[in-house]
Amino acid sequence: MSQAPAEIRKHARGGEGRRKARAQPKGRQVEPGALSDVQALLGDKPRQRDLLIEYLHLIQDRFGHLSAEHLAALAYEMKLAQAEVYEVASFYAHFDIVREDETPPPAQTIRVCDSLSCEMFGAQTLLKDLEAALDPKKVRVIRAPCMGACDKAPACAVGHEQVFQATPEKVKTALAAHHHEAPKPKKDYAAYIAEGGYTLLGDCLDGRLTRDDLIKRIDDAGLRGLGGAGFPTGRKWKLVRQEKGPRLMCVNGDEGEVGTFKDRHYLDIDPHRFLEGMLVAAWVVEAAEVYIYLRDEYPELRAMLLAEIPKVEAAGLSRATKIHLRRGAGAYICGEESAMIESIEGKRGLPRHRPPYVAQVGLFGRPTLVQNIETLWWVRDIAEKGADWFTGHGRRDRKGLRSFSVSGRVKKPGVVLAPAGVSARELVEEFCGGMLDGHVFKGYLPGGASGGILPESMSDLPLDFGTLEQYGCFVGSHAVVILSDKDNMKDVAINLMRFFEDESCGQCTPCRVGTEKAVKLMAKPKWDEPLIAELSQAMTDASICGLGQAAANPVKSVLKHFRGDVL
Amino acid sequence: MPKLKVDDVEVEVPAGFTVLQACEVAGVEIPRFCYHDRLSIAGNCRMCLVEMEKSPKPIASCAMPAADNMVIKTNTPMAKKARQGVMEFLLINHPLDCPICDQGGECDLQDQAVAYGMDHSRYKENKRAVKDKYMGPLVKTIMTRCIHCTRCVRFATEVAGVEDLGLLYRGENAQITTYLEKAFASELSGNVIDLCPVGALTSKPYAFTARPWELRKTESVDVSDALGSNIRIDVRGNEVLRVLPRLNEDVNEEWISDKARFACDGLKRQRLDRPYVRKNGKLQPASWDEALTVAAEKLKAAGSKAAAIVGDLCDAESMVALKDLMAGLGATSIDCRQDGAKLDASVRGAYLFNAGIAGIEQADAILLIGTNPRAEAPVLSARLRKRFLAGSLKIAAIGPKVEMTFPMENLGAGAPTLAEVAEGRHAFFETLKGAKKPMLIIGQGALRGANGAAVLAAVRSLAEKAGVVKEDWNGFCVLHTAAARVGGLDLGLVPGAGGRDVAGILDGAGRGEVPVVYLLGSDEIDTSKLGSAFVIYQGHHGDAGANRADVILPGAAYTEKNGTYVNTEGRVQLGRLAAFPPGEAREDWKILRALSEKLGQPLPYDNLGQVRRRLVAVNPVFGTLEEAKPGAWGAFGQAGAMGSEPFASPISNFYMTDPISRASPTMAECTSVFLNGQARTGTHG
Repeated sequence: MSQAPAEIRKHARGGEGRRKARAQPKGRQVEPGALSDVQALLGDKPRQRDLLIEYLHLIQDRFGHLSAEHLAALAYEMKLAQAEVYEVASFYAHFDIVREDETPPPAQTIRVCDSLSCEMFGAQTLLKDLEAALDPKKVRVIRAPCMGACDKAPACAVGHEQVFQATPEKVKTALAAHHHEAPKPKKDYAAYIAEGGYTLLGDCLDGRLTRDDLIKRIDDAGLRGLGGAGFPTGRKWKLVRQEKGPRLMCVNGDEGEVGTFKDRHYLDIDPHRFLEGMLVAAWVVEAAEVYIYLRDEYPELRAMLLAEIPKVEAAGLSRATKIHLRRGAGAYICGEESAMIESIEGKRGLPRHRPPYVAQVGLFGRPTLVQNIETLWWVRDIAEKGADWFTGHGRRDRKGLRSFSVSGRVKKPGVVLAPAGVSARELVEEFCGGMLDGHVFKGYLPGGASGGILPESMSDLPLDFGTLEQYGCFVGSHAVVILSDKDNMKDVAINLMRFFEDESCGQCTPCRVGTEKAVKLMAKPKWDEPLIAELSQAMTDASICGLGQAAANPVKSVLKHFRGDVL
Repeated sequence: MPKLKVDDVEVEVPAGFTVLQACEVAGVEIPRFCYHDRLSIAGNCRMCLVEMEKSPKPIASCAMPAADNMVIKTNTPMAKKARQGVMEFLLINHPLDCPICDQGGECDLQDQAVAYGMDHSRYKENKRAVKDKYMGPLVKTIMTRCIHCTRCVRFATEVAGVEDLGLLYRGENAQITTYLEKAFASELSGNVIDLCPVGALTSKPYAFTARPWELRKTESVDVSDALGSNIRIDVRGNEVLRVLPRLNEDVNEEWISDKARFACDGLKRQRLDRPYVRKNGKLQPASWDEALTVAAEKLKAAGSKAAAIVGDLCDAESMVALKDLMAGLGATSIDCRQDGAKLDASVRGAYLFNAGIAGIEQADAILLIGTNPRAEAPVLSARLRKRFLAGSLKIAAIGPKVEMTFPMENLGAGAPTLAEVAEGRHAFFETLKGAKKPMLIIGQGALRGANGAAVLAAVRSLAEKAGVVKEDWNGFCVLHTAAARVGGLDLGLVPGAGGRDVAGILDGAGRGEVPVVYLLGSDEIDTSKLGSAFVIYQGHHGDAGANRADVILPGAAYTEKNGTYVNTEGRVQLGRLAAFPPGEAREDWKILRALSEKLGQPLPYDNLGQVRRRLVAVNPVFGTLEEAKPGAWGAFGQAGAMGSEPFASPISNFYMTDPISRASPTMAECTSVFLNGQARTGTHG
């Protein structure tokens, strides 16, 4: 398998008719050295199309970049078109393609998050300091989108291992340290079992609980999809169950929304609660396989899951459901469920058109249940403690518990478990220790980069699904970023729009062109309000997916609530 | 059958129709760039937005399935505003270079900009600039104009079956390219020029040549292969500038091969524009009278010993005139099968593509015998791929191992394998037998050898045994490579009683038994075997035949005459005069008519109408245009030993198969790039 072929492989077909065979196969030639590298890395792993991104990671991890030779060899080995492999590799930010005439990047890469919270805490300074302090031949310093460490801003990643509240000194230490051990989870399998874990799953698998009963409990609790869309979970399960099998399930762990880090938090504190919820949901919809799509920014969680999942499998708990763990590659758009499905299939993360919905035609063309990590994390608690326990929480007529990722100008940023309907002011004062000294509450992002911006005067609104839409905002993944009088709203809006520009997949015209153009218009000293407003409206109306549709929300909010900062 | 309302018009459309298609049914045209009937739906340009009742936002009509009770409004302020917004976005980065763009005048973006664009730009920033890509000698790229509709990528992967194109990177950096700038290696590559809704992909040979409104457009048929693809010939003055496809669902859908499209520059080179007579071993210019007199004298002297060979590009009119002229001499040595294929002219079903090209889409098991459709008929090959993509097709081949655009099993190289299948000793026999609509595609490669008649008989017997020919289905399909062939067979241009076939004529000429050979556009024979025979060549290019000729009578190319062609399915189609023959060259049937006058046996027709009546008299099939029906079935072929020679495709270089394409500089460049691998690198611009 791994020995090098004696010579460049000749064209596999052709050449036996009268037509002369090509002297060489089409496209880039497969070099024997590159081919044996790829074969060695892949070993006897299946050459399945959907594993393309996994294998690109193998090459990127091993060599630090994807050379044109390796891409050609991988295409050959997987019997894919070279153009296809190249398309996929060039789509994701964590792959570095190096053509023959280019020099590979330095061995080490530092990604400095410059999304909103980190920017507020000095990302630009950090970026400059690092560039000045490090040898560009040895270390590459680049900007990167939100890496889910907004409560420990500014954050950066050495390789993919993150440094929190980063300073050049901390980064240098991290650079020297290298090999990071996968942290043990705060609660591992044994500890989880000890506290009664997996009893619910056992009850399900052994028939002590019916599917309808479980769906009813979830329905009664009013659990909603916590990835951002807030679709009622019980109803989703019923919808998927209605479709003809075989059905599949995907877990969306591509938490990329600026300001969001709750999935990371829950995976960190109690991963098995999530895994149990996942297996229960898979049992409910009778999904024989479940794919967990985890963003590449969380390598320590990936390592942890790689260690913990086999324990679950060994205990026979996944006997009804095969678990796959898939690795993202740096693309916010893959948090959109259909783009994530494309990515799991090994393709570029281009959102699909609806209808059909993924519940009807999803992964590999099968009806698919897609759930966010946190949503599944709550399944066990609700099933065991009952719907009343969950709905017992709530303020301002809203029911249930919500996890807010709070960051920005507060004393104690972090994941806050609060009753649904809590207000931003309460989050600041009651849960996060108030505003930072010297900062006056000026406004907030209720739902990450796409949820719009609201002023302090509207900080008593209940934060929940459906309450903010009338103000052109939404709560989405409950990522609340608190802004103060030290923050210029124009800079905030530009920062958010730049994020969308970087992360637009480029599929549809309004988003591809609109985000780029919006950044340019917004950077001007004085905003051309009618033009920006029209551009925003066209993006909102005409884009395929939520990214383009919501990208203009911050701009619209600024024009509505913070006119003084831009006009 | 969902029923919905479009702009207050109630329409019922077949299930699976999109809203955009439903709007078309209702007679409303929806602007679009990425959507194309024959490609998968991308839904990325967002130009086709319409308003749908109960939807807060406009919807992309191309990607939305039509459903019952939908209320669609296409002309509301919301829809119009959204389209204007999209149009403005598209124009932000699109260069304002329409005056120097070859797409100008036939550009979707230009046309839609008139309807939805503004008269000025509100965006003052620099436009995005993208480096042009090298896509080979046929397709010119100006990538800054690209609007990322991905039609070209979808065409390449879906129709052409060549995954050479892709959309790299993401967001604003996204760009279309061939994989690392290699030539786009498909025989159908030129179709992306028609598909591109802007001027990003244009024709390289045609670059900066003309504006569409300067061109005279003539509907005609292609002769570069035997499909009879429907084309439009664009002419300025008397010069053919380009060839484009015309829609014909039964034949070529809306594709044509690169040879059909780009070989037209060969019409300007190597032309025979005046008569010649060989004097003292050298061809000397002569008058028509002199040339015809010399030819007539020689023919008269040879009488019944004269022989005639008919080439691949001839129209039926000239063929029937030649047949009548030879009959007047009492000569029976006449043959239209210049490659020596052992086709049987007595049974029409024996030489037609009986199931029809569109019939491929119904077939469920196909066996290719001695053919490489990709080189012999690329558009038909695309139809095979289309059938393959539709699923559950069993397809295999006996003959050359060729690179198709779909997976295909090769059962063996030639006659021995065919015998196995025909005698039911091979598993594929059962596959054919078990199929509802089995199809055998027989190429000339299987029939042109010495044992061609035996091969034909074996295939016939296979067809009967495997149930390929049934009451409502005839899957016996001969794939021809010559545009003139079926017409020639329909007119009976095969040796009569005591007559010689092509091999016999050459043999006889070599031995001095055939004193005069009349070559009607015949250039694919081995002219060195003509010995000392007196050769009269009638044709349009100074190719092999003219080189050996003693008298040259300059004829007209397919673009220069009104001619009838019968395609491989037996479909009778009319080619039309788009430009006049150069110099003193004349329409071919008229030359033969004039020659008959000199012979003292004038042919009984003086105008095109009379020639065509004669065609119908010889074979009534010429009375019905544009239709293809399976031919009559009967006994044909000659059972016997088939030998063990492998079947080879008759075409070794797709780009040069006839006098026109051999004279074409574009086809010469394709040959060097695609066949000899002398691809230029991206740095050559």
